[in-house]
Amino acid sequence: MKSPKLQRWLDLLAALLRRHYPVTFDELIPDVPAYAAPGQKAESRRRTFERDKDELRAFGVPIETVPGPDPEVKAYQLRVRDFYLPYLTLRTERPGRPRKIDRYGYQSLPSLAFEPDELAAVAAAATRVRQLGDPLLAEHAESAMRKLACDLPVDAAGRDEPDTRLVPPRARASSELMVLLDGALRARKRVTFRYRSMGSGADGAREAEPFGLFYLNQHWYLAARARGETTVKNYRLSRIADARVNPGRPGTPDYEIPAGFDLRSHAKSRQAWELGAGDAVVATVHFRSRTGAAAAAHRLGEEVPGHPDRRHFRVRRSDAFARWLLSFGGDLVPIAPGELVDDYRGLVRETLDHHQHPSAFAP
Amino acid sequence: MSASDQLRRILHLIPLFADGESHPVSALAGMVGADRDVILQDLLSISERFEVPGGFVEGLQIFLEADEVSIVPNHFLRPMRLTRSELLALELGLTMLRGERPPEEHRAIAGAIVRLDQAVARLPKEEIADDVRVAALSPSADLEHLRRLREAFRDRRKVRLTYRKADASAASHRVICPYGIVFASGNWYAVAHCESSEGIRIFRLDRVEDVESLDARFESPRGFSLDAVIGDGKAFQSSSAGTLKVRYSPRIARWIAEREGKPLADDGSLTLEHPLADIDWAVRHVLQYGSDATVLEPAEVREAVVGRLAEITGS
Repeated sequence: MKSPKLQRWLDLLAALLRRHYPVTFDELIPDVPAYAAPGQKAESRRRTFERDKDELRAFGVPIETVPGPDPEVKAYQLRVRDFYLPYLTLRTERPGRPRKIDRYGYQSLPSLAFEPDELAAVAAAATRVRQLGDPLLAEHAESAMRKLACDLPVDAAGRDEPDTRLVPPRARASSELMVLLDGALRARKRVTFRYRSMGSGADGAREAEPFGLFYLNQHWYLAARARGETTVKNYRLSRIADARVNPGRPGTPDYEIPAGFDLRSHAKSRQAWELGAGDAVVATVHFRSRTGAAAAAHRLGEEVPGHPDRRHFRVRRSDAFARWLLSFGGDLVPIAPGELVDDYRGLVRETLDHHQHPSAFAP
Repeated sequence: MSASDQLRRILHLIPLFADGESHPVSALAGMVGADRDVILQDLLSISERFEVPGGFVEGLQIFLEADEVSIVPNHFLRPMRLTRSELLALELGLTMLRGERPPEEHRAIAGAIVRLDQAVARLPKEEIADDVRVAALSPSADLEHLRRLREAFRDRRKVRLTYRKADASAASHRVICPYGIVFASGNWYAVAHCESSEGIRIFRLDRVEDVESLDARFESPRGFSLDAVIGDGKAFQSSSAGTLKVRYSPRIARWIAEREGKPLADDGSLTLEHPLADIDWAVRHVLQYGSDATVLEPAEVREAVVGRLAEITGS
């Protein structure tokens, strides 16, 4: 089955690449049979070209729009060196010369040399991306590696034998959902979905404006703002169901992501006690022993000058912090502030009472 | 099948097979990681042309015969530069690596980012797509230890590990053969054969105090499966001496049920059985949930929990 769009795209690319100067749409028409076909209205032909150009740009093809010979007429250019991959080489003790193509235009492509450890890092990065479980990301990384593999020994760089692995969680995000959210993000379209709230255990309808997707400790999250609100909330993808992208006004963004929003700092890893909207309280914790578990916890806090067996922690949720301390079985105890010490002692008493009389709580 | 996917595959294929010679379709499919029928469909879709105007010069000619194909291109003899999406995907992986690798490896990672950036197709400024993805693992291990273990795993060398168990206030030394390094449930682990205990053990890297690479080499045993050891979604030790049975109250059960992939009981609670390798681990596991966890079995753990809490209360 023929694919008219793919044929048009290839014809248009070839028509632009074979000229080394800007060209107007009228000059392109004879080179693209679909544009030259008789019986078309001029506006319709032009619209098809505009759509093709925009879609090729969205694909990544750097087609430039430049002033034409007549100020009223635009011209287009695709430079060979901007389109084709440079010749890639590996910087070794005996560097080989890139195998250049003996055709007009290809000889002048630049060369780009990778250090062996740089290529090894790229191969490891591609492996790590494949392990994240996002099909689009994996596809893009794989596509990039295939291009590099034209010139470079990417398999020898360790692509096939990763030295570390990510174990995926049981509850995973679906590929379809990731693709759908990716499309919504890029088009800036609102999404509606059902979300299983872990607080209430109930499903609720949400309408949100996606700001980004982030992967933190083996889970994918959608950072999004509810319509009409300012707070950016995080939704774990594995808890989202029945997601739909707003079909209204296609091609027109529903919202803008504020210029000050930084997905990287928004997605920063935090402990449970660091989450929350309130002000952080500085807690002082005494480390009564240096078991393996306590030693690992010691690295999380901040130094207390003059007290190597104490650490400071910035706490927003006192209850979560008290539970975390309790999990060290008395090796870590809070000594300030007083409210936190009281919370911790209350938790210890309540927990002791519970375990001394478990029948009262068991089914 | 979108035209973009087809274009991506076609632009991959042509530089590899554009010599005018015949090539099996299956060889083309293998090179782009696609199904043979998909590639055949791609080729068919651009090899059938109708209504070609006079004087038109083909940018690409494809000849399909039975299971063989030959490509005669006038263009596309080099791969296309990296797209912005491809660059962002690899940059994401490189950024993750920077969080996992010690500082001396950051130069290579930064260099790789620069090199990739030089290979990207630059779109007109207004067309540049946003970076809408971020990924990170929690930095729960000493990166130098992680690096030495990765090297030992790659070179199949034994290492001497200085390790402080969760409940031990002094570190111990042991020689291990690292069979794999995994990130699970928010932590890095080395899955290894431990010569001291003569069995497979899992070492949490944030409890490792030193890693010394040895000259002695090892071979992973035939039939060893990392998947079998790390289990379904989390790292655990399979050589368990018993079972810990815990009931989680409805207040917290939903989170644990989601993590473990188990259904809730009718009253909203959850009862789980865990492999019980050591009592101290069980005590700490139960204590983190306060009064929302109840030890159902064994009594020994329940008593240990009560004993530990009584100690804290008395202290």
